[in-house]
Amino acid sequence: MSNIIEIKNVTKEFKVLNRREGLRGSLKDLFSRDYRIVRAVDNISMSIRQGEIIGYLGPNGAGKSTTIKMMTGILEPTSGEILVGGNVPYKDRTKNAQEIGVVFGQRSQLWWALPLIESFKILKDIYGVSDEDYNSMIALYKSLVDIEPLLHKPVRQMSLGQRTLSDILAAFLHNPKIVFLDEPTIGLDVSMKSRIRTLIHELNQVKNTTVILTTHDMGDVDALCQRIVIIDKGKMLYDNDMEHLKGFFGSYRTLKIRMNGDLKQLAGTIQRELPDFSVSADDEWISILVDEERSKVMEVLNQLQRSYEIRDMQLEEISTEEVIKKIYEEGVQ
Amino acid sequence: MKRKGLGFYLRIYGKILAQDLKSKMSYRADFIISTIGMIFTNIAGFISFWILFQNFPSVGGWSYYEMLFLYGFSLVSLTPVQCFFDNNWSLRMYVYSGDFIKYCFRPINLFFYYQSEVFDIKGLGQLAFGIGTLAYSWSRLGLDFTPLMLLKMIIFLLTASLIMIALQNAAAATCFWIQNSFYVLDLVTRFKDYAKYPITIFSPVFRFIFTFVMPVAFIAYYPSFVILRPDEVPLLSWLSPLIGVLFFWLSYKIWMKGAMSYSGTGS
Amino acid sequence: MNLKKYITLTRAGMIESLQFRLGTLVIIAGNLLYLIVVYFLWKAIYASAGTDTVNGMTFSDTLIYLVLATALFNFMEMYIVWEMGRSIQSGKIALDLLKPMEYRRYMFWSYSGSFVTQFFFTFLPTFIVVAAVTQGAIHLGFNLLFFVISVVMAVSINYSIDFLVGTICLYTESIWGINIMKQVIVTLLSGATIPIAFFPEPLKTIVYFLPFQSIYNAPLSILLEGHPQPLALLATLGLQLFWCITMTILSRLFWKASLRQITVNGG
Repeated sequence: MSNIIEIKNVTKEFKVLNRREGLRGSLKDLFSRDYRIVRAVDNISMSIRQGEIIGYLGPNGAGKSTTIKMMTGILEPTSGEILVGGNVPYKDRTKNAQEIGVVFGQRSQLWWALPLIESFKILKDIYGVSDEDYNSMIALYKSLVDIEPLLHKPVRQMSLGQRTLSDILAAFLHNPKIVFLDEPTIGLDVSMKSRIRTLIHELNQVKNTTVILTTHDMGDVDALCQRIVIIDKGKMLYDNDMEHLKGFFGSYRTLKIRMNGDLKQLAGTIQRELPDFSVSADDEWISILVDEERSKVMEVLNQLQRSYEIRDMQLEEISTEEVIKKIYEEGVQ
Repeated sequence: MKRKGLGFYLRIYGKILAQDLKSKMSYRADFIISTIGMIFTNIAGFISFWILFQNFPSVGGWSYYEMLFLYGFSLVSLTPVQCFFDNNWSLRMYVYSGDFIKYCFRPINLFFYYQSEVFDIKGLGQLAFGIGTLAYSWSRLGLDFTPLMLLKMIIFLLTASLIMIALQNAAAATCFWIQNSFYVLDLVTRFKDYAKYPITIFSPVFRFIFTFVMPVAFIAYYPSFVILRPDEVPLLSWLSPLIGVLFFWLSYKIWMKGAMSYSGTGS
Repeated sequence: MNLKKYITLTRAGMIESLQFRLGTLVIIAGNLLYLIVVYFLWKAIYASAGTDTVNGMTFSDTLIYLVLATALFNFMEMYIVWEMGRSIQSGKIALDLLKPMEYRRYMFWSYSGSFVTQFFFTFLPTFIVVAAVTQGAIHLGFNLLFFVISVVMAVSINYSIDFLVGTICLYTESIWGINIMKQVIVTLLSGATIPIAFFPEPLKTIVYFLPFQSIYNAPLSILLEGHPQPLALLATLGLQLFWCITMTILSRLFWKASLRQITVNGG
């Protein structure tokens, strides 16, 4: 299959103003300014095939949105090459825009005051979608989600979940080759999240649309992505299959135990006893991430049973969330 | 992909406008209060004008009714900017909050797409007020009313509108570079209030500035000559349609350049 | 009263308003241009009038009045209505109401920082330039003291009016309409653009009975009158004090009553 997106050695630098602190600093800024260069994206390369769903991950400020802006043609790379569906996005912004769809989790791109169906009709004209394609798309939507109640509701009266759903439908309406989704499930409740994930999955299956997903929610990644790309501080840390990712830290397992008392406090004490492993606690469980190459889970459990009364336990394979966290913290060896 | 022509854009605008008007009608209170506000503004403007002329019979050789004509002319020529380009006022908010980026992903002209979002119906009240003032002073001045005069009038009103639109675009676009661009926009808006005065009252330096740098003289003064004093039309009046188009094009370029340079930096 | 927390707010406001270098320059340039227009306009008006004194004001009286009125206007303009309207619509008002300071007071002190910067960056330089250029047209004596007192009351009256109008935004979404009506009325009837001395008779009397002239006309007439009649001075200041108290009480009561109604209705 051919590559729909081709990124070669792309770098993007910004000039940033250093603001001085305090009242005196502001007075100084009035007369002289001091800039520094920030490299938001640093020599990144990747190829993406038609129909893939890619999780594009990284901590805040890692350079994710800068990369997406370059792929959508809003930003020109400082150096390197980008080809999206054969176009150079920055040079042919409008031509490129015809082939892509974009959704920002919190920012609706629909007409605020208009009912959804009217927004769809305007988009149909803007993208020059034929009646036939439009009708079959609406029919597809109707088969996937219950959109009837949404169609005649102005966007401003929708809940965040309904709005996100509408935005996703609008982004797919002209059957683009690529859809960029920026935190599509942010702020949504569990059932809405799962509805949205199913919808994205179905649309990808039926239309073979390439989906590039940036998110902080590992639930999205687990449910949708076959491949993930991780960047931090502008540099690419990882680019491979989900399977491979887990294999990376395959010797890791999570031991979850339940005890009486304040779990947060106990987790702190245990962490001191087991300095090699990362220990954390939530409302129900204390989780210990054990590297089995160092010591077996059973040994750790035995050691803990000597000093604590353990009421319950579970053993889990490492979660995507923990893998990603480890990659942010330690990088890929 | 085929190129998108004027017809395409007009059709899209028409659709958005029709839908927008439909939804506006459901917010009647807002519509009524805004309209009253607009009427207030116009009445107050007229009262200021009237107070001045209570004290002074003429200004710089222009009589009361001639000045009234200039005043009406400026009101009418300011209507399009009010009706079609009012979203310029929100620009700095979109830019500040980062929401502006949502306009950048459509396969149509960014400037058009942004401005098409808002149609400000209040401007129509000003249009009515302006036409009334124009008609009244027209008859008081005893000017002819022929199809040719009407045609000239329409062409030169459009010219004047283009200039004001250009000024506002350029002023609004400053928000892409500076933070409190509200003052710039506010300043330009205040300046258009001076469009109704004859430029001859200024010293040569400022005549130059108001003609070529801040071209407010084209909003009423130069175009009005063609109707008001057909015997002494200066060359600049005849050139004003061209100048209008030129300024509009420049402001559009500035706006687009700002939009492109901005959308990179905001997160 | 804990003075420190007010000073902290003032200081934060000062830092914020200094953040914008270009903004400051734009304001200064804008005012200069505006004043130039005012200068030429009134020069032409006086030239056409044929007499040196109109309604007891010479050309230089009028000019000094208008220059200082503009400086005062920049110093006092607060955009309170917009801010209140926005935070009411966005729901941010709920957070502001939780602050351990009465909302009306909180808003005022948040703005006090920009009062201070605006005073030093626009009003004071303007005043010094005007006093130097006109050499003696402004009497520098006790009237300065009364002027300062008068300005303090003017700030308070202006704020109360803004707050009162801002409160209306609890009832309607039409911020634009509400704000423009306020702005138009205050600017015209306060004498900010045309000295009240020029108003024709019945209108002049009406305006003197309204609170608006206490904002610009009162302090400026105190400043420009070198040797005032003690009685006249007392009358002006007394009237200001009356409006100062009345408007404070009115705006407070209206806010309280409105807020109660809104909380009861769960608006």
